[in-house]
Amino acid sequence: MKSDTRLFGEIDIEEEKLICFENGIIGFPDMKKFSLIYDSEGKRKQISWLQSMEDPEFALPVINPLAVKPDYEPMFSEESLAALGDIHENNAIVLTTITVPKELEKMSVNLKAPIVINGETRQAAQIIIEDDFPVKYFIYDLLKKKAGE
Amino acid sequence: MLALTRRKGEALVINNNIELTILDIKGDQVKVGISAPREIPVYRKEVYLQIQEENKAVVNADGLEALKKLL
Repeated sequence: MKSDTRLFGEIDIEEEKLICFENGIIGFPDMKKFSLIYDSEGKRKQISWLQSMEDPEFALPVINPLAVKPDYEPMFSEESLAALGDIHENNAIVLTTITVPKELEKMSVNLKAPIVINGETRQAAQIIIEDDFPVKYFIYDLLKKKAGE
Repeated sequence: MLALTRRKGEALVINNNIELTILDIKGDQVKVGISAPREIPVYRKEVYLQIQEENKAVVNADGLEALKKLL
């Protein structure tokens, strides 16, 4: 499947490698097919991108939440994982979206609604967790500190 | 919008597979029980809107270009 993306130019991803959000992204129910793009040339390799295959303008930067909050342990209800097939600790990939406003200092990750991917079947969902995690968890200082190390 | 009056203990059925039951009413608070197929997500609307707004901010074009340049 081809897409002429705004951020990455033309990409061509095999159908079986696509990540499928059966219910879309919250607020964007029609965004179902994505590819996960790793920016191997970037300095910070832990950041990757969920690029929509349906809308070339639509891309979500994502990061492993443990990279910015090592004690992050969200509890997922059984119902919330229903769209992800046979998912367990060993095949689950948990990512969180990064919000980057014009003022980079206010960069944050969304710990309240992580993205969970079944690494075997590539089914995925954005899940709102009941625990009291912030929608905006600010990470600029932390990334800056890491970059300085 | 369809408006129906229900009493405590009464229920509504939507689309043959979703059942809403009024479990309790106390002052201006209503406790609602929801029986739906597992694959149907249910959210508190204010939380849903908050996440929707955040997702919109995530795909905001200015920030993305800036991040890509930064990395």
